[in-house]
Amino acid sequence: MPTLSDRGPRPPERHRGAQGLSGPALKRRVAPVRAEAAVHPVVVLAAAAIGAGLLTWFASGRSKRLGPAGSEGRRYARRGSAVTASAAQRLNHASTMLAASVLFDSGLEHYRGQFFNRAMYTPIIVSSVTLAASLHGAGDTDPGSSRVRHGVQALAGLTGLIGFGFHAYNVGKREGGYSFQNLFYSAPIGAPMALTLAGILGVIAEHVRDADPDAPRLVGLPAGPALALATAGMLAGTTLEAGLLHFRGAFQNPAMYIPVSLPPLAAALLARAAAKPAGANQAGAKWGMWAVSAMGVGGVAFHAYGVARMMGGWDNWRQNLIDGPPLPAPPSFSGVALGGLAALELLEHRPFRF
Amino acid sequence: MRIPGLGNAADNPKHAIPGNDPEHQPRARDGRAPNVMRIGEWVPMRQHRDDEEVDFAIVGTGAGGGTLACRLAERGFSVVAFDAGPYFRPLEDFASDESHQSKLYWTDERIVDGENPLQMGSNNSGKAVGGSTVHYAMVALRFRPEWFKARTLMGYGADWPIDWREMWHYYDQVEDDLKISGPVSYPWGPHRRRYHRRAHEINAAAKVLARGAEAMGIGWTPTPLATVSAPHGDAPPCVYRGFCTLGCSTNAKQSVLVSYLPRALKAGAEIRDLAMVGRIETKNGRASGVHYFREGKWRFQRAKNVVVAGYAIETPRLLLNSANQEFPDGLANSSGLVGKNLMVQGNQAVWGVFDEEIRSYKGPPSLAISEHWNYDDRGHGPFAKDFFGGYSYMSQGPLPQLWANTQASAHGLWGEALVAEMQRYNHVAGLKVVSEYMPQERNRVTLSDVKDQYGLPVARITYSWCDNDKALNRHALKFLREALVAAGGREVWDQGDDTCHLNGTARMGADPRTSVVDADCRSWDIPNLYVCDGSVFPTVGGVNPSLTIQAIALRTADRISSRER
Repeated sequence: MPTLSDRGPRPPERHRGAQGLSGPALKRRVAPVRAEAAVHPVVVLAAAAIGAGLLTWFASGRSKRLGPAGSEGRRYARRGSAVTASAAQRLNHASTMLAASVLFDSGLEHYRGQFFNRAMYTPIIVSSVTLAASLHGAGDTDPGSSRVRHGVQALAGLTGLIGFGFHAYNVGKREGGYSFQNLFYSAPIGAPMALTLAGILGVIAEHVRDADPDAPRLVGLPAGPALALATAGMLAGTTLEAGLLHFRGAFQNPAMYIPVSLPPLAAALLARAAAKPAGANQAGAKWGMWAVSAMGVGGVAFHAYGVARMMGGWDNWRQNLIDGPPLPAPPSFSGVALGGLAALELLEHRPFRF
Repeated sequence: MRIPGLGNAADNPKHAIPGNDPEHQPRARDGRAPNVMRIGEWVPMRQHRDDEEVDFAIVGTGAGGGTLACRLAERGFSVVAFDAGPYFRPLEDFASDESHQSKLYWTDERIVDGENPLQMGSNNSGKAVGGSTVHYAMVALRFRPEWFKARTLMGYGADWPIDWREMWHYYDQVEDDLKISGPVSYPWGPHRRRYHRRAHEINAAAKVLARGAEAMGIGWTPTPLATVSAPHGDAPPCVYRGFCTLGCSTNAKQSVLVSYLPRALKAGAEIRDLAMVGRIETKNGRASGVHYFREGKWRFQRAKNVVVAGYAIETPRLLLNSANQEFPDGLANSSGLVGKNLMVQGNQAVWGVFDEEIRSYKGPPSLAISEHWNYDDRGHGPFAKDFFGGYSYMSQGPLPQLWANTQASAHGLWGEALVAEMQRYNHVAGLKVVSEYMPQERNRVTLSDVKDQYGLPVARITYSWCDNDKALNRHALKFLREALVAAGGREVWDQGDDTCHLNGTARMGADPRTSVVDADCRSWDIPNLYVCDGSVFPTVGGVNPSLTIQAIALRTADRISSRER
């Protein structure tokens, strides 16, 4: 889309020398000559993200259906492989949800921050490739893992951690340091961790694919309980992030209490599930996970209502989507809850239909 | 439930009704008043005939009168509230234009004299339904508890007849009603309930204050402000437009116009805009009603009780102008103190230039504050206190026209020097005090021989600093200068003569000989005449007075209803 001349990128050099400030002489300010971009920079960014995602998809290889003519020449899959395959796919659903949430949320928030630091482009590209790898894995019923997917997911986990470092530095360097004021309004300290969670769940998906189908293990621990406890912890962390930002919003709408009360409850059910003997019925925890998943999706509607309550409402969407409650944020709860469901599958040792 | 953007006129300026001019035609009439939260909409309003004796005739609808009218109406009294100003609709009538928005100020003629004549109009009096709160800076601070016993505990001024814990209770209520956006924990004074909205993000000018305070080793905090940081009913959160002191056009600002008055209307109060009250009638030692000018003629509203809430100039003017055979020195004036002890607050500032862009006009003007010198009574070293009273200081965000004015008047720049200075507007930050001046009987409001457009005598306002005030000014400017330099300011200069807020011309007290009204704001002389605004302050303290005025109004309403029932 061709842009008007005043919509082009700002000249990078805006700082005027000290002598220009102190001198009483009147200096004329002349707009620097600059080339106009023919397309909006955001379009370029979106194209780059899509391109990176497609490349990842193709690099991950073809998705293979588990069929009679298995690639390893095995006629019948072993008994447990239906469980691990289903759990792995579900984990990839989880990482898909989280990666998508991060992609749109970081895109929105970093656009709001005008990509002040070049590093702010990173999560958009990384979450795009993570999204592609996760989608790829979600369609893959093959018991074996993919090295490309594994690598991409590990990269996402690492990127999230680095982002956390950037955000923590941003909070601390401000006047007042690590105060509530700065936790509210500088870079959201917990947000990059959503990308780490996507990466971790994606990596686990690959590990589960590789694991012994009858007794899957993760980092030396039984996969079911380990994953259940890990996702319970992730739910607690996501709750902290939502709690901080809803506290900033002064819990002005009673619905804002839901994401700080329901997920910890579900996390407790998940932790209890981890303690049950293998194969026990996990209906309670399962309902808990579905409830949190639904809450994450429903949260988008609540946030949309929040946007409507900003000055000018949806008529003024270009401002209010950025300054109002972030629409893409709540589904990260759904992502973590899907990870919890995968853990429950491993715990019950049977694939769920839903 | 309001869903903006879905056909609601409030979001579409094109739906404005042309040709209705609130400055010349009253809007609150024919059984309805403007719905200030929605464009073009109205709310029903109960109305009273002039010969109907209402429970309360309230003169003024600002922080004192408007808040009181709301609470009294909600307690079941019949209330008529008069205001000389127009009934503005913020969503339609407020332009992003400094000159135009001066329509919010009380710019009727007044005569000022004394050694330090006050500058009246812009930052200390408003003429609109909602009073000065329509253009106030929304700074919502509580008094320091000791100030309520300033004479006994701190040795200056006068004691208030109200206990601070009772005030604390009413502060809680006002802060809840206005959904004050404040810091998670406030660094000074005794414990208070958490603010109902979180503090706003601070702008670069506020960061300058923060850096300065940290360098000077004193505390600072985001300022508690009466503009919401998260939605509250029909009020959207603040969009940091920065025109706060010229009228908020989004209704995020919780002025009395959009907070208490809609509630008052709902509870059955009547509001009469463009209604100038000129005289209070008395009969057998009691107030019997008010004479007011509206729609081209003088009328008389009968009332069982009269409340004067015109702020510290118009309140004594009305009381003095109501002198009659029964009360030849003016109403409620047996102590001779009506109009005396006028107190303003210091509003000196220091300004400096910074290397980085500040753009101080972004967002509310006073986003950060330090109340250190309100709570530190001694100081040390070069900042040892040699005066009574204290001060708070805040970051500033002057809009361009005000800034050019300041540069031309206070800084004395003109011509090319002024133009050159204005080029640096985006790099300027300043710190400004709100400081406590002493009550002095020589600072007073009297009536002059000049008549205004209503034929009423114009107020003469006499004001001079005492030595204590001057010592405070010196301390404040010296401290602010160092703080601004420590924050990185260069070419720092003082703006030494500014003042703000008006208080104290009908002081409350425990003794009829030394005060005009009692703790319930009831005049000692006339049992059904009340004064409920900043005039009743015996001392001013070093914080903006609006929250205290509103807390007193709620308390007065409670006291009235417990007596009348």
